Amino acid sequence: MTGAGTPGAGGHSRFPGFEVLEQAGHWDGVTAGVVLARVGTAPDIRFLTPEQEAIATALCDRLLGQDEEPRVPVVPMVDARLAEQETDGWHYDDVPEDGQAWRDSLRYLDADCQARFSCGLALARIEDQQEVIQSVQDLGAKDWHGLNAGHVWSLWTRYACTAFYAHPSAWNEIGFPGPAYPRGYKNPGTGKREPFEVADARPSADPVRDDS
Amino acid sequence: MAVRDRNESAWLLPNDGTRTNHRLRDGMRRFGDSDEVDLVVVGCGAGGTTLLQRLARRGWRVVGLDAGPFWDPDADWVSDEAGSHHLYWTEPRVIGGSDPVPLGSNNSGRGVGGSMVHYAGYTPRFHPSDFRTLTEDGVGADWPISYQDLQPYYADIEGELPVAGEDWPWGDPHSYPQRPHPVGGNGDIFLRGAYAAGITAKVGPVAISNGRFGNRPHCIYRGFCLQGCKVNAKASPLITHIPDALAHGAEIRADSMVTGIEVDERTGRAAGVHYVRAGVPRFQRAAAVAVAGYSIETPRLLLNSASRRFPDGLCNDFDQVGRYLMVQGAPQTAGRFDAEIRMYKSPPPEVSSEQFYETAPGKPYKRGFSIQTVSPLPITWAEHVAAQGHWGARLREYMSDYVHWSCLGALCEFLAQPGNRVTLAAEKDRHGLPVAHFDYSQCDNDRQLVKAAQGVMEDILHAAGADEVITIQRFAHLVGGARMAASEQHGVVDASCRTFAVPNLYITDGSVLPTQGSANPALTIMAVAARAAGHLAAAAHGGS
Repeated sequence: MTGAGTPGAGGHSRFPGFEVLEQAGHWDGVTAGVVLARVGTAPDIRFLTPEQEAIATALCDRLLGQDEEPRVPVVPMVDARLAEQETDGWHYDDVPEDGQAWRDSLRYLDADCQARFSCGLALARIEDQQEVIQSVQDLGAKDWHGLNAGHVWSLWTRYACTAFYAHPSAWNEIGFPGPAYPRGYKNPGTGKREPFEVADARPSADPVRDDS
Repeated sequence: MAVRDRNESAWLLPNDGTRTNHRLRDGMRRFGDSDEVDLVVVGCGAGGTTLLQRLARRGWRVVGLDAGPFWDPDADWVSDEAGSHHLYWTEPRVIGGSDPVPLGSNNSGRGVGGSMVHYAGYTPRFHPSDFRTLTEDGVGADWPISYQDLQPYYADIEGELPVAGEDWPWGDPHSYPQRPHPVGGNGDIFLRGAYAAGITAKVGPVAISNGRFGNRPHCIYRGFCLQGCKVNAKASPLITHIPDALAHGAEIRADSMVTGIEVDERTGRAAGVHYVRAGVPRFQRAAAVAVAGYSIETPRLLLNSASRRFPDGLCNDFDQVGRYLMVQGAPQTAGRFDAEIRMYKSPPPEVSSEQFYETAPGKPYKRGFSIQTVSPLPITWAEHVAAQGHWGARLREYMSDYVHWSCLGALCEFLAQPGNRVTLAAEKDRHGLPVAHFDYSQCDNDRQLVKAAQGVMEDILHAAGADEVITIQRFAHLVGGARMAASEQHGVVDASCRTFAVPNLYITDGSVLPTQGSANPALTIMAVAARAAGHLAAAAHGGS
């Protein structure tokens, strides 16, 4: 997707009219370059094979609840990091380095889906994809195809969340105004807002309270 | 002595709205590889840079090598989380043990300025008890120096950063050179909750200039302290010690990865360091060598510098290198408020409490923890939410609630243990050198501290009116791995940071710390390095 709007997750908006990119004129040039590149054309896939790309897209869309358009192009951002070996600077000793761990885990996930639903992950129904993914999370730290399932889950969610919450569309959804240099903030403090911030339209929509 | 008379860095920066004195850098003295410099320093972070600046001031011919870039905040840093990835040490490393500790963005810097480029900015002192935990509490280790030995260096560095905060009632009570900053939503919640819960909390201590300091401007409260301060308000050695070092003839050689320390077999003295720059292997001769690569890379470099004399790694005659590495348990507890907190506004470091720092009578555990505001930005906050097990639509819903959350973090004093250590992995980096394997396992005392700290943070947030709280288990900081000790059987360096094994080889970074307290380590690392500088100068003067 390019630019504004809230990525598809039921279409709710808690911050009506809030548009981070409208403030881009107030950002320093170096930061603007980095952030605006994310709303331009997504980088070409260089690391994942087409088969892996398809599995990764299904996985990342489910992890981030991107069930409909418009979507943040998460997999091209993950792929760019893997191609450039832009890792987090460490990997668990019971999981291979990140690139290999992504390739291996995508293959295992697809095999799980085949075994359960006689269909690869990319073409499976959303509910079936969710079930296969949930079963990996449910393993906790137990073994999954010779890997620590918890460490694989950490790998997937770290890369997926980093890509998604780097995108201005995601910032619109959570009320975060993004870059703040050189302007800074003049109104910090509980219940205070800058002129360009928008109040939460549903301040008591507490997800924790909803859970209980 | 006035700060400017002993460290002119803040006055050597530009005052025209740009952040780097390019003329000073371009005109920097440059040594040849075959020049025998008085001292070569490996790593230009908190420890290495402080040492470099002190000795350059004394007229030493010094070179600082760093594997990463010589940062320009204007051109290289962004006001953005994901775009700040290059600030971290992301060369490969392997982690294991029963409680593996993630590295990279969490605790490992890269480039001139080191981890202080992306630390939050908290600069508490250690408490006097930290230097004798074995004697007083029967855990950890005693340092071969006392708090009093470091006290004047603490005060000096606090003036040079400078540090802002309220009068400090804990440890050795002291005051700060700058007044406390105003607080944002998260600091406000902490202060209100602590007051209601009967806990003492104070604003500070943060190394973020409150007001103009030299040519460094006032903080603009933009909240991106962990992404490198584009304002030059938050202290890092890049702006607090490098400019003065350059003005006194030091050379900073960036993008230079040190691969080995050469020790002359006949004399037993360090002769210089091997490094790679732009793919070319080079050797810098030096009369003395100081290693300041921090707790992972310093032990790794020593282990990778094995020779006939040191078959198990340099300075490793007693199997001490890489051991007693410590991290702090750093659970973060967040509370949900119907009001908007918007914790991303204002620096993450605002308010802290050291009320639970010391061993408390009646508790089943030794030592303690501190509590501080942390204020994660969205990507880090997503890690909190994902850690609760949420994904998919639920994750998105939680995340959309971001502006309502306030977040506190604890630093729990995990104890030094010999098995928590760096060894060499089978995996190699792009230079063909084995990478570090870092094992970490917690002891019972560690786990009890984390639990107690979480309880206190929950109490504070509930007392401030939070309806729900969530906690994520994390770790913070690194110290130890080449610790200071009274004898070579128990550590790698002596009280003056000189290695026991090689008389002109020093270690001046966080890896020499024998204990860690519940304090962020940057200030102590700088103070230890400043003290070591005096010993180096004295030793050289005495002809040693």
